[in-house]
Amino acid sequence: MNSRRIFAVAYKEWREIVRDRLFLSLAFVVPVSLMLIFGYGINLDVEHIPFAVVDHDKSALSRDYLHRYIDSRYFAYQGDLASEREIGPLLADSRIRLAIIIPPRFEENLMAGRSVAIQTLIDGTFTFRTSSSKGYVIAINAAFNSELLGNYISQRLGIPLETAREMAQPVTAELRYMYNQEIKSVWSIATVLMMFVLMITPPFLTALGVVREKENGSIYNIYASTVTRGEFLIGKLAPYVGISILNILILWLMVARLFGAPFKGDPLFFFLASVIYVICTTGIGLLVSLLVRTQVAAMMMTVVVTVVPSVLYSGLLVPIASMDPAGQFEAHLFPAMYYTDIILGSFLKGVGMEQLWGKVLALLIYAIVLWTASFLMFHKRPKS
Amino acid sequence: MNSDWYILRTRLGSWFSRLMAMTAKELIQFGRDTLLLFAIVYLFVFDTYMAGNITMQLNKAVVVVHDADHSAASRELIYRFRQPYFKLGGEVLDNHAGQRLLDQGRALVVLDIPPDFAHDIKKGTSVDVQVQVDASNAVLGFLASSYTAQIIGQYGFDQALTSLGIDERALENVPMVRNEYRVWYNPNQKDTWFMPISELLVVITIMGIMLPAAAAVREKERGTIEQLLVSPLTPIQILLSKVIAMTVVILLGTAMSLFFVLHGVFAVPMKGSLILFFAVTTIYSFTTAGLGLYIATLSRNLAQAALLAILVLMPMIFLSGAWTPPEAMPMGLRQAMYISPLFYFIEMGYAILLKGAGLDILWDSLLGLALLGGLIFGFGVWRFRRQFK
Repeated sequence: MNSRRIFAVAYKEWREIVRDRLFLSLAFVVPVSLMLIFGYGINLDVEHIPFAVVDHDKSALSRDYLHRYIDSRYFAYQGDLASEREIGPLLADSRIRLAIIIPPRFEENLMAGRSVAIQTLIDGTFTFRTSSSKGYVIAINAAFNSELLGNYISQRLGIPLETAREMAQPVTAELRYMYNQEIKSVWSIATVLMMFVLMITPPFLTALGVVREKENGSIYNIYASTVTRGEFLIGKLAPYVGISILNILILWLMVARLFGAPFKGDPLFFFLASVIYVICTTGIGLLVSLLVRTQVAAMMMTVVVTVVPSVLYSGLLVPIASMDPAGQFEAHLFPAMYYTDIILGSFLKGVGMEQLWGKVLALLIYAIVLWTASFLMFHKRPKS
Repeated sequence: MNSDWYILRTRLGSWFSRLMAMTAKELIQFGRDTLLLFAIVYLFVFDTYMAGNITMQLNKAVVVVHDADHSAASRELIYRFRQPYFKLGGEVLDNHAGQRLLDQGRALVVLDIPPDFAHDIKKGTSVDVQVQVDASNAVLGFLASSYTAQIIGQYGFDQALTSLGIDERALENVPMVRNEYRVWYNPNQKDTWFMPISELLVVITIMGIMLPAAAAVREKERGTIEQLLVSPLTPIQILLSKVIAMTVVILLGTAMSLFFVLHGVFAVPMKGSLILFFAVTTIYSFTTAGLGLYIATLSRNLAQAALLAILVLMPMIFLSGAWTPPEAMPMGLRQAMYISPLFYFIEMGYAILLKGAGLDILWDSLLGLALLGGLIFGFGVWRFRRQFK
């Protein structure tokens, strides 16, 4: 290893990047804009679910019951329908996602002390939205029932309403949300986005940078030079790692300042872990670039190995804990998941090295394997 | 008159045969790149298959309990935290230990049952069960707290009925509203139906933008565009041939994914018309090709094109409505969703495949997509042609 030669290769690559103004600005614009768009755009909170009502009873009590949905911020009332027949087309067209049907004699039966069955139709297309809506419906319905039961107890036993209500609801749950007090999805998403953005941009920069030399044939200059393969790889990738390290700092600042996510961990530890992660993702790009011959193929392969797994298996949208064993196994194969844990630990939970060393080690091993494999696969005397 | 018609016909004929020759050239060039083919097949087939194995449900979330009461009543409550949603992760001796398990991510929910739990229930005074939920993942946190509240609420309700001496048979004669749910289109809320469709539509989008952009920039970067320009081909033919070739690739991939993975493996009910689905996919593919061509005009090499494509793709994917409901979007972004072609494609894709909707219901979305597509494609073509002048 000759540091002067490494520097020469790095400097040549750097000049090339700087001269390609559009590329250089995109290398910074893409991460920042991804962060901005997603940080403000992803809102997994399910609110304002459009719903319609078929009220066959039209009594004071049925209106009271329905108003608990209409007044809730989770639901957006779209109007009354005359009959069940109108529900189908509206659901199919996604104009409503939920419909509540109140049978005739709703009030009469409840007043007479009989139970009543109502129907709720839910659009099951988007499964997470469906289970959230169902949760809200159950909660509103349960609150209404425990009031009814309280009134009933108070009448039957002749005790004051207050005591009766307490008897009707002997156990209450007091929920406390740890780490993310208001379940703000923006916090949990903005932090995890760092992982996402740093997973996608470095491999693209690297893979295309290397394959470009192969496709243009300028790599023959390297083959013919005194630069060894190790020197070439390190020098070639150093500028890309440098750009990505700068991006770490920019993104970190955005998450903390712009989205206000609290940083509770050790900054130095987090920075070093992030650098290892970036070296890892750069290594992925490198490996891809050595497998393919054309830039188009490099582009699609990078999509295959980075974009898709980091959306599906990183815990960004889908929590890994809720995957089946096969999914969890696949998730462990990608470095994104380990870094997600490091980010969440450092930002929201405030845990450090002693809890997260295993994850850092995994990233380190990953990086070493990727770089060694690339080193072994790169030859200055290509076969064909 | 007759000879005019003849000339027109031969001209049209040669125009088409040139277009077809170029399209064939694109397809052959595409087919020779083995790794590119592999990537395409992987994305359409294996990726949609892998997506189907992912679930957004709460699946055996670990619950640990700090039970200060150790009574029959507290045990009954604890045992209601069952699979599939929850899994008991044992007991802890104090709250501190529970906190530590949350920190390490080894538990999602910590239940804290106070002393005198059973005693207070019997007396009819209200008892608070403290629940700590790890909400660092908003989806899991939300589902876990929602189910926990349901379980504890139902338990309280049952206890109230028992202490009043009302058993299950007498339930008819208690005034209460029984809510009967019916989930339509996906009755068991299978993620194996939701996820692969969403993944397929996203893969189509990625291909639809990246492939035409790459096909166009490649000629520029390698200099072969000069050869094409001196050939008898018009810019429109050069460009249409690329779009047609890539659309063919996308439709083939879609068909593979649809028949082998979605229908074959996951048994997604193909309720609607498949002809309509492929027609919509073709229109959509032309729309994204317009975006790809526009990207191609802006960039001089593929590295630039790839980054620009990501810049366009990612917002489209996340503003598509598959992950984030349009209703919950803040103003501005909600409007932005309406100009994202993927929004209409997702809406129609699910409606055709799961809901069995036809043109009578989807005409407005289709119109939206067609208008948007025409506009984007026209703009892309205009920009692409302009660079040759």
